[in-house]
Amino acid sequence: MSSNLLLPEETSSQTLRRRLMAVAGTVILVATYLTLIITQPMGIVEGLGQGVALGTFAAYLISAVLLLLAVLPDLPVSTLTLIPVALALNIILGQFVGSVMIPLYIDSIGTVIVGFLAGRRAGAATGVLSTLVWSLFAPTVLPFAAGAALVGFLAGTAARYGALRRVYLAPIAGLVAGVLVGVVSSPVATFVYGGTSGVGTGALVAAFSSMGDSLLSAVTKQALISDPGDKAVVFLVAALLVYALPKRLSGSFAFVRRYRVLGKRVSK
Amino acid sequence: MPRSNKLHPFTILAIAVAVVTMTTAASQWWLSCAVIGLCFLITGWAGHTKKLALLSGAMLLPTFLSLLLIHGLIPRVPSPAVAQWGPLRVTVHGLEVALSLGLRTAVLVVVGLLCGLLIDKHQLVAAIDLSPVPPQVGYLLAATLFLLPQMTEKQRQIGEAQTLRNAGIGTGLTGWFQRVRLRAVPLVLTSMQDAQDRAVHLSARGFPATGVRTRLREVPDTSVQRGIRWAAVICAVLGPVMILAPTWFGIN
Amino acid sequence: MMDRNLSAQSTTVLGLDLHSYTYLHAQSSVLSDIRLEIQPGSLTVISGHSGSGKSTLGAVLAGLLPRYDMDQLVGSVSVNGTKVEFSDSLQPRVDIAQWSKHVGLLPQEAGHYLSGIRGTVSEELVFCLENQGMPREQMHQLVTALAQRLGLEHLLDRHPQQLSGGQERLVAMAALAISEPEVLVLDEPLAGLDKQATALVSQMINLLRAQGTALVVLADSVHFWSHEADALWSLEQGTLQRLSTVDQQHQAKTSKVERQPASDDSRVLLNMASVQLAYPGAARPAVQDLDLQVRAGQCLGLAGANGSGKTTVLKAMAGLLKPTTGTLDTVGQTGLLLQNSSDQLFERTVLREVSFGIPKKSPLRKRVPEVLAQLGLEHFGDTHPYELPASARRLVALATVLVREPQILLLDEPTEALDEAGETILQEVINSVLERGGAVVLSSHDEQFMQRTADRVHVMN
Repeated sequence: MSSNLLLPEETSSQTLRRRLMAVAGTVILVATYLTLIITQPMGIVEGLGQGVALGTFAAYLISAVLLLLAVLPDLPVSTLTLIPVALALNIILGQFVGSVMIPLYIDSIGTVIVGFLAGRRAGAATGVLSTLVWSLFAPTVLPFAAGAALVGFLAGTAARYGALRRVYLAPIAGLVAGVLVGVVSSPVATFVYGGTSGVGTGALVAAFSSMGDSLLSAVTKQALISDPGDKAVVFLVAALLVYALPKRLSGSFAFVRRYRVLGKRVSK
Repeated sequence: MPRSNKLHPFTILAIAVAVVTMTTAASQWWLSCAVIGLCFLITGWAGHTKKLALLSGAMLLPTFLSLLLIHGLIPRVPSPAVAQWGPLRVTVHGLEVALSLGLRTAVLVVVGLLCGLLIDKHQLVAAIDLSPVPPQVGYLLAATLFLLPQMTEKQRQIGEAQTLRNAGIGTGLTGWFQRVRLRAVPLVLTSMQDAQDRAVHLSARGFPATGVRTRLREVPDTSVQRGIRWAAVICAVLGPVMILAPTWFGIN
Repeated sequence: MMDRNLSAQSTTVLGLDLHSYTYLHAQSSVLSDIRLEIQPGSLTVISGHSGSGKSTLGAVLAGLLPRYDMDQLVGSVSVNGTKVEFSDSLQPRVDIAQWSKHVGLLPQEAGHYLSGIRGTVSEELVFCLENQGMPREQMHQLVTALAQRLGLEHLLDRHPQQLSGGQERLVAMAALAISEPEVLVLDEPLAGLDKQATALVSQMINLLRAQGTALVVLADSVHFWSHEADALWSLEQGTLQRLSTVDQQHQAKTSKVERQPASDDSRVLLNMASVQLAYPGAARPAVQDLDLQVRAGQCLGLAGANGSGKTTVLKAMAGLLKPTTGTLDTVGQTGLLLQNSSDQLFERTVLREVSFGIPKKSPLRKRVPEVLAQLGLEHFGDTHPYELPASARRLVALATVLVREPQILLLDEPTEALDEAGETILQEVINSVLERGGAVVLSSHDEQFMQRTADRVHVMN
């Protein structure tokens, strides 16, 4: 009995479940963030807010994993093989660039490249996975998975609306993405870890807090200083790397063709 | 072969999660210290003590310093000072807060790293493949873990190749940028081309599996371990609630 | 779009009737008017130079191309009695996993076939069975039987990433064979292998054929296969031509290049005396007590098994590695072509690549077009190096070395990835360096090339 050599038309029965997971993940993320911002639990000083810490950690992690599971089965194999490369690039280029330069993290170049080439869902998945894998070596990054997902998502969105058609647009998009990411990630730093994990960033937070800011607003202000700069550099570097790819490679991504991500750089 | 191979990777992970959540909830310095001490005892038995100490030290030292800056120097609650340099004062309360927050992170770091050292990569990937998560998860984890050393090696080779061409010897910001470009572009080009070339063969080999999937590698498991895992998961969720509930009701 | 037609084509396991094949973004088609029928258990050999489109043809046969919604194929492919039609208006979406149960492809880079995520060769072999959900016991039996049949038992517990190039190819072929496809397409199965590995790989090819698998071999030249093959084809300008035995005479290798032997009293350009070389952190030195001397106008060959330190010596000559003991003196500039020369390329066009790092006013700038012309690359100036065929890409890397006019040209496995035309160009380059009073040191496992090119050979051990 010879089997069918062609793929059946795609069905929409399974997509509903994935949609629901994506929605659930987003809702958990937004709800947790809003709760934290509105209630501003001050337990961090009295009882150190263990409950808040665990709750924040769990909510951010669970929402990231839900988003990942919602997105993964949709990704084509060519994107799947790209993701591990992106994860390794995050780490290797992060080390290489970071070792020379100032207090930026530069740990998301690969994620942004995937966002640029394969779209926002692939970018978000790369962000989450990058965090999960990296947590095997540095467990503290786990709750930042949602922030990393946002970086990939925003990179894909930026590419879709033409941020790569001009070189100078990429860092501007990065700046905007940095603001959003900084705002979303700072509750994790505040309520889970009670501050930051770097000496430089810690000094900034201390400075803001000495001026009478609450811990959350001090951490957020610090993030608003570091993150936009960081993401602007990352978006620019990632854009330049994407430009360096041969057309045959970059043009093989359906996302790039469909939204004319590279504009005139790829004819047709 | 690590000695922990007889344990199912998920058992180790479940216990780790339970330990971290309950220790964090309890927030007692002696408990946190005891957990960290226990972790080091276990690594001693598995033979990774030095590695664990180095890795966790590198991660925790800046964290402690940063917390000390934020909480120790800028106290929110009036408290007697331990030391004072002009406007900067280290207070008892600030020090306490910084230390307890630091210990909380320390438990997470040490327990997490211990898991990373105890779990065999291949066993973890096989366990994930045999679990009901999408088949892509196991592939992505495995591919990243295997790619990392390969790409680091590639990075070294590229550096060598560029030295041969007398490339990347400029100074200043442009020199730095040029060096980054010369290192990054070939790495990104080769690795992405490679990924592209491999993709089609992966699909030819039936990946991702659409139906049931199996693994040739066996992941030893026992009913006792399964029991432990369930217990650990329940502890991880209910433990903190039980520990924290009295304080919530006590305060409100 | 698909119909069963068992009666008419029952003797053909794989049939191709191709009108044209065009890649995405390409102006013209790479393949056109190709008709090919593969009988069960037959050996078909298709020759073509690098960039002739033979890899494309192989991938079309294996169902890996066209990429859905990108490339344009007009024609039809019949697999085991099932015919799939492709046309301008209709590009069906192929289920690659199902197709590959009938037709398997061993890519030129065999490592690409391996998943790269398994810890042992056995696990790698059953990767596709795991994805089909075959029970563990059955997989164990299949692996054991297959390993016995193909003589691979000694490799089963090895780590797939620690295999040599030849072993990698054996394992990939076994992984293809485990799902017992009717046809195997082998893309350059013998390229870049030394004598011993060539013997092992061709032995496995014979075994597979004896077991009834039809084979399609894509190779640079039909030379090696002409006695065994049932059909010989040559792929030129995108279309197939049947080769008769007469045509093969033209494909015979070029004979030894005539060259004035270098006089023994010419200047010594490179001198190594009791040199020891070691990598930092390595337990044992890679090379010990090496004495070598190369004079102007001489070509020295380095031979020896894998891991005997050929590459290490070349790197030391290029100044990448300092000898731990002994002396190493060179006169003039050295230039090294690495084995993995893609690592050296990073620019967007060939022209920028070759002129990289040469100041605008430097007289060397004028060399750029000369070198490109010498290597037959003058038409590729504006092409991205990664879009060139493998052979041309290797020549681009060679151009980046040559443009600086090195006194001592060092070549690590220079024939790898080169097709016959490329090899001829390489010969000419070596001769021109020697004629202008330079010296050449090269390592190669290609014994014929070594014999033709090197004045003397140093065997490393």
